[in-house]
Amino acid sequence: MGKTRQPPPGADHRNLTDVPLDEEVILVRIDVAGEDIEPLLERGIVPGCKVCPVRHSPAGGPTIYRVDGHLVALRKETASCLCVRSALEAAGVLDPN
Amino acid sequence: MNEGSPSASVSLPHCEDPGGTAASAAPGARRVALVGPPNAGKSTLFNTLTGLRQKVANYPGVTVERRSGVVTETVGEVEVIDLPGVHGLAPRSLDQKVTRDFLTGRLEGDRQPDAIILVLDATRLRTHLMVADPVLALGLPTLVVLTMADDLRRRGGALSPEQLSAELGVEVTLVDAREPATLDLVRRFLRALHTGGKELRACPAISVADAATASRERGRPLPVIDLFAERRRRARELGRSASFRDPRPSRITQRIDSLVLHRLWGPLVFLATVALVFQAIFTAAVPLMDGTEALIATSGTFLTELLPPGWFRSLLIDGVWAGVGSVIVFLPQILILFAFIALLEDSGYMARAAVIADRLMHRVGLQGRSFLPLLSAYACAVPAVMAARTVEDERDRIATIFVAPFMTCSARLPVYALLIAAFIPAGPLLGPFLGIRAAVLIGLYLLGLVAAIGTAALLKGTLLRGRPAPFVMELPPYRFPALRSVGTRLLERTRIFLRRVARIILTLSVALWILAQVPPSPAGGPPEIGDSALGRVGQVIEPAIEPLGFDWRIGIGLVTSLAAREVIVGTLGTIYGVESDDEETLELQAALQQDLDLGAAVALLIFFVFALQCMSTVAVMRRETGGWRWPTLQFLYMLALAWAGAWAANTLL
Repeated sequence: MGKTRQPPPGADHRNLTDVPLDEEVILVRIDVAGEDIEPLLERGIVPGCKVCPVRHSPAGGPTIYRVDGHLVALRKETASCLCVRSALEAAGVLDPN
Repeated sequence: MNEGSPSASVSLPHCEDPGGTAASAAPGARRVALVGPPNAGKSTLFNTLTGLRQKVANYPGVTVERRSGVVTETVGEVEVIDLPGVHGLAPRSLDQKVTRDFLTGRLEGDRQPDAIILVLDATRLRTHLMVADPVLALGLPTLVVLTMADDLRRRGGALSPEQLSAELGVEVTLVDAREPATLDLVRRFLRALHTGGKELRACPAISVADAATASRERGRPLPVIDLFAERRRRARELGRSASFRDPRPSRITQRIDSLVLHRLWGPLVFLATVALVFQAIFTAAVPLMDGTEALIATSGTFLTELLPPGWFRSLLIDGVWAGVGSVIVFLPQILILFAFIALLEDSGYMARAAVIADRLMHRVGLQGRSFLPLLSAYACAVPAVMAARTVEDERDRIATIFVAPFMTCSARLPVYALLIAAFIPAGPLLGPFLGIRAAVLIGLYLLGLVAAIGTAALLKGTLLRGRPAPFVMELPPYRFPALRSVGTRLLERTRIFLRRVARIILTLSVALWILAQVPPSPAGGPPEIGDSALGRVGQVIEPAIEPLGFDWRIGIGLVTSLAAREVIVGTLGTIYGVESDDEETLELQAALQQDLDLGAAVALLIFFVFALQCMSTVAVMRRETGGWRWPTLQFLYMLALAWAGAWAANTLL
């Protein structure tokens, strides 16, 4: 439970921490095991959602992301568990809309 | 399915009897629960609906406590219960468990609500609609209230409540929770609870939650991630049907964030905020506290002159007035702290402060969310322990609770103030900027903080070791705080504080006075304090505290301060007041200077920095950690630290 589908082979997927500020991406997979995944899911961090890093907080603290239009702060360790792909390429492929 | 017993019992099992009847619902009153995600405007709606006809179970955190209120402008009384903000009904956190159990009628001693008002933020409709599924699946009559109508409009968003209503099968209304004029449909819904009416509809649609239950019953539970993906899909579908147009990102929020989360300015704003809060507590509160003190002293003198000398006057003035007065003085300070916490929470800054604090907190084994409980602990550990419920990770929550009592609560202040004034000279240390006394006070605060950090690190390295849970924190848009809501919360605090004073401190003051009066001396009249029952108690524990430089008088103070730390000041006041033969009470400071040397005074200060001298904290810890294990461990750990620290101070100085 908690593990998600593997991305399609050869897909262009990146770690969320590698995405530069202001680039919108689509969440593909969450590599968090067990119940720890629920706080993310409940706040709308669900595969298919749009994520855009908007601001780094001071001194290497959590980064602020816009997730489907609202702001969420994620620690680097947490963000590195999120696998994303470019919004343009993913349009119509993974986003159910 | 939801016709509960007609009794209107309003205590959660984990809450003490809230006392007072001003806001109690009449038996048979209908009951409606406010449910929704955090920061959706639930509490604002609750305040607008119930006004001052509210009651709070004993110690409210910020939004972690159950508040109930009564609405009477409907046909009959309706009791409204403001549940904690939740993202779902999975019993993952205490808040969500309490919410789920309450909504399903599984909470012992509390009946199921007759209806639900689901409160969602219209500007975040698509995410917030994900909560709708599990709530609507409960099958209770539900009204969906979409708040922040003004914000949605201002930022160019739009939606049709009618279309959403048609889609969900329950009534939907778009409101501005601060504006009573926009709450017509809410009032109609409340009225319908008594009269019956079309508003009382339960969701007929088969929801995703049902599908999940069905799949679980078939023995193949739907993976949680698929459940949420399905909920998100459905929420977006609903949004589309309701012609939902996303609002633009809030420009004000972007601008403020670019300052308060700035690499350089961010930490400065954070430090300035913390400094402002402390400055307000320690300087702005002083005139108010002086005023309160003067009022108590004047009324005491007035009563002394009014009453004939005798046991009754002694009980009233030396027992009640001295004991209760020494504690009531702190009300202004506590209220100022809570006013700041409320303003910071409601404006949206607290979430940013948590983000800024996370880096440091994470290093010592806590997390950003621990910041608010720990800040609250500077006022009182009891609401702090409860506010720790917002820390979702169980290990982090226990660690936060465990270290909260090390923060210097305002009950320690009277003890510090008394001892510092009596033993530390008033000279300057750093020119006009810092006096020796102020430096000692800051030192005591830092000592508590260092103990908290060390303890957190120790715990996370031993008993609470484990993989860190993901850290995710929502940042709500900035809003101007609803002053009415802040005011209501302060009134609650005042009520709770006075009730505590009335119960614990009044009782103790009277009990102490009586113990100091018996057995009567052979000549009749009160005995010497050393011969009284109170004196004997002190003498029994004297051997244990002698190495710390304390005598039996301080011993009595330490025992009584277990009820609440500040009680020691009143106790010593009673002891020395009773001991002096003439009418003029010996100045307490001067009396202490006779009994303690500098080493023992510092030892006493350090004892109070570390020791868990507060039964209310122990009680609330037992409740919040579900057993005696943690509170017992904490009490003994803190006592050992206090004894060792005090012994070291007394030996070295």
